[in-house]
Amino acid sequence: MFKKVIAKSMAKSPWIYHVNTGSCNGCDIELVAVLTPRYDAERFGFKLAGTPRHADIVVVSGPITSQSKERLIRTLEQVPEPKCVVSIGSCPRSCNVFKGSYSVEGPLENFTHVDVSIAGCTPKPEAIIEGLYKAAEILAEKREAMNK
Amino acid sequence: MEIITTIFTNAFYVLVFPGLLFVAIVGLLLAGIDRKVLARMQKRVGPPLIQPFYDFFKLMGKETIIPHAANRRVFLAAPVVGFVSLVVMMLFIPIFGFSPLSTNADLIILLYLLTIPAVALIVGGSASGSPYAGIGISREMVTMMAYELPLVIVLLTVARKVGGSTLCFSLSEISLFQQAEGSLITNWSLIPAAIAMLLVIPAEVGTQPFDVAEAETEICEGPLVEYSGAPLAIFKLNTAIKMFIMTALFTVLFFGGIDTGFIALNALVLVAICAVLTVICMTLIHAICARLKIEHLFKFYWTVVTVLAAISLILVWLGL
Repeated sequence: MFKKVIAKSMAKSPWIYHVNTGSCNGCDIELVAVLTPRYDAERFGFKLAGTPRHADIVVVSGPITSQSKERLIRTLEQVPEPKCVVSIGSCPRSCNVFKGSYSVEGPLENFTHVDVSIAGCTPKPEAIIEGLYKAAEILAEKREAMNK
Repeated sequence: MEIITTIFTNAFYVLVFPGLLFVAIVGLLLAGIDRKVLARMQKRVGPPLIQPFYDFFKLMGKETIIPHAANRRVFLAAPVVGFVSLVVMMLFIPIFGFSPLSTNADLIILLYLLTIPAVALIVGGSASGSPYAGIGISREMVTMMAYELPLVIVLLTVARKVGGSTLCFSLSEISLFQQAEGSLITNWSLIPAAIAMLLVIPAEVGTQPFDVAEAETEICEGPLVEYSGAPLAIFKLNTAIKMFIMTALFTVLFFGGIDTGFIALNALVLVAICAVLTVICMTLIHAICARLKIEHLFKFYWTVVTVLAAISLILVWLGL
């Protein structure tokens, strides 16, 4: 019974940790907008966590730069299982306009498994909420898979 | 046979009512009310009322990571020590007359037990070996020193008012006194002490304007920075239970003497009063204030709050 309650709670209380890997700050502002009273992601239980140890969902914005690559991998290692990785915007998908730069290491999927990818430059807050909600559902599925 | 019955009733007191299960459920419910009302004050929809339950069960299902720099045993034991002391504390607080553990020195025991969750946080934080936790625990210690002085003065005031020159530290006697003479809040000389106590509650629990030790946006929740999974869940539960314990203590000290005759109904009245107090002294201040700096917090408690409590103490000592 407890396992069912825990799996259900996983979908209801996802805490977000946000990593900026060389983003232009546009997606970061939209992510903050999601948590403001206008869009109020807290009604689904979303909360911004201050440290990767408390996080369930890691949100990555920006193309992965050489400087941030190592930090990103170290941050992802510190997140307790089960965890989800969500990319926001076009940069983590394809490097966007930064493609070909000497300091950009390439899309996010080269370094980690991406569960949900939200497209757009920048995506709308509604799209971000939908993406995060899907990530929360994946989180519950991952927890159930851990039981087996 | 009698021994078995005694063991059974005591186990019931500790594990179900008014111990573990009761405080956990009511504490998490109060935390939920706090978050919901705060959201409504900020014109948001807010999370569902049972959101803290979801948070608790989710954290229970997460992996527990123990950092290399941490002292494993102390790191894992600290939240449990804090939790146990909080459950024991609830056994001393009478629910309008019903109290499983009652002694002549309830208030002194409570004063010592109240420091244990804060000390557990300090010990757990220092065992995690993180620099953020180091800053957090030094702030937690200063916060403790800040609110302890006015709290002691408030408790002394109530003891003097009830017991006269002999000082009454028994909570059940304080309840009986209020049943006979009316609630202490109706006594004008105790109103400054009540206000001081209301200001001590948010610092003791660690909510927004006084959460310098766990400043989320600044030092990433301070002592909790390395915690994950079940220990973090217990720390979050501790904070929620502290909300209930402190408001229940306030109710016993200043709103005592309400007795409907049924224990269940009394408990319900207590929870209702605690919910109102939570909204007044935690949610309202959270919604209108930004976080204080640590030196401002210390100054505030040792001047404004201490003076309020001292005014009451002097008035009561003069026999008013």
